[in-house]
Amino acid sequence: MTTVAIRARELERARLERAARTVSRIAMYVVLTVVSIATIFPFIWMLSTSFKSQGAVFALPPRLIPDRLFTPAMWDNYVTVLTRYNFVRYTFNSFFVAFMAALGQLVTSTLAGFAFARMEFKGKNFLFAILLASTMIPVEVSIIPEFLMGAKIFHPIMQPLGGWLDTYYPLIVPSFMVGTFGTFLMREFFYTVPKELEEAAVIDGATTFRIYWSIFLPLSKPSMTTLFLIAFINNWNELLRPVLYISTKDLYTLTIGLTSFKGAYEAQWNLLMAGSVISILPLIIVYIFAQRFIVEGIATTGLKG
Amino acid sequence: MKYKKITPYLFIAPMIGGLALFRIGPIIASFVISFTRWNVRTAPEFVGLGNYVEMANSDIFWLVLKNTLVFTALYVPGVIVVSLILAVILNQKLKGIAFFRGLYFMPYITSMVAVAMAWNWIFSTRFGVLNNVLKDMFGVSHPPAWLADRNYALLVLVIVTVWKTAGFYMMVFLAGLQSIPSHIYEAARIDGANRFQVFFKITLPMLSPVTFFVLVFSLINAFRTFEVTYAMTQGGPLHASTTLAYYIYRNAFEFNRMGFASALAYALMLLVGLITALNFGVRRRWVSQDIY
Repeated sequence: MTTVAIRARELERARLERAARTVSRIAMYVVLTVVSIATIFPFIWMLSTSFKSQGAVFALPPRLIPDRLFTPAMWDNYVTVLTRYNFVRYTFNSFFVAFMAALGQLVTSTLAGFAFARMEFKGKNFLFAILLASTMIPVEVSIIPEFLMGAKIFHPIMQPLGGWLDTYYPLIVPSFMVGTFGTFLMREFFYTVPKELEEAAVIDGATTFRIYWSIFLPLSKPSMTTLFLIAFINNWNELLRPVLYISTKDLYTLTIGLTSFKGAYEAQWNLLMAGSVISILPLIIVYIFAQRFIVEGIATTGLKG
Repeated sequence: MKYKKITPYLFIAPMIGGLALFRIGPIIASFVISFTRWNVRTAPEFVGLGNYVEMANSDIFWLVLKNTLVFTALYVPGVIVVSLILAVILNQKLKGIAFFRGLYFMPYITSMVAVAMAWNWIFSTRFGVLNNVLKDMFGVSHPPAWLADRNYALLVLVIVTVWKTAGFYMMVFLAGLQSIPSHIYEAARIDGANRFQVFFKITLPMLSPVTFFVLVFSLINAFRTFEVTYAMTQGGPLHASTTLAYYIYRNAFEFNRMGFASALAYALMLLVGLITALNFGVRRRWVSQDIY
């Protein structure tokens, strides 16, 4: 074979390879787009329905573009849900509960994570094993006694502070005290802090608490942000405890506000979807701006925990 | 570091105290309560194994258990396949990949109650968008009533749960894929391996510790499925989609049967424990031990 023929064949092969790569690239974008549509469609449909009039909700065939879009009545469903059905209040309640619980988790988890990462003490491995094992046990196993204990013991004792049932205590206190996930996350981070920093502080005569407070906490801001955000999201989305403990409507969080609303106004899909948008929009906004913290935190600790 | 002996215990006290009070204590208490009949209003009455006997003789319990196992059998392979495929695609060097990654993860952080409302509406029988698309575009004259149909309700819960959680497992798989060193792939390519060979002979075995984690985690979560049932079907129609965790909730907090519900909770824990132990037992057979 002549060198020209060989060269031509090589060129041909390179061209084919390039073409194959382009085709597979296009195929991947097609898959990515299809999955994107499947992922986002429920949100789009939710949003679309939330801008429809009651008549348009039941129009056949269903339309994607809502009839009230860019009309003066566009925000009517939101106004109705927020004011007449109290969703302003529910949103505030969800925010309060999630914020307090996340803040509490930050305190307990950094304290415990610090001890587990940087101190030696008797029973350390045993306690940490219990901590990890407890995450494997379904909440259904402990929620019944937790509720009974709250009703029979905490409620009478806490009367001067407003009781326990139908207050936010049971929504906040167990969540912030049982920060197994957070302890794990903080422990992982505190491991990575160089020993020299700690030793220098000891020589300067700093107390252990001072070392935790002025050296380790400032260093762990990214991890603490991750922990706070994840704890906030989990508590914002919490369903079981609000269902069990909250009976006064004014104290409802968004999750039970939404379920009770659905029970009462079954066919009002436009209002229901407006309520759903209200209850997920704050988290989506947080997610868009703090994606890095949230995703890494969930993926890495999930992987190890 | 030098510190007083008591210091570490002070640091872990709030966390361990909370764990003891709200988790460990209740887990033990639940076991004791499972031997009683207790409606909360009157004093608990010791009934020995009565609740467990009742459970074994209850048709509803076996149906609920079957539902939970069917849900798990559909959900776990479903979510693993979907999330693995997504992770493999997202592991390519393509433009805009970060956008897609962020998008796919999004359902995982949203409230199950809120997205369940949207899915309820999509699956709604007469006016739901799905059935109208099936009718108008695919010529299905009588599409199923989905959530109101005994044969489909549980399947809908599976679909919604896969949709909601696939993004999480995708991220876990992706982290695993990215920790496989690239020189292994290069070596395979030099040896002339094609894409499928690389995937099945290198990627999958190297990924097996991650797959193991995903398997254990998704199984545990499948067994305790509660929120999607609560928000979408309330276990209906006629218990057709009642999962074990939801059945526990109803017995405890709707029927006030604390003893029976605790026995059910222990059945759930036993189930989770057994399957997790089984997983760790067969781990060596398929999970790579010494990699990288």
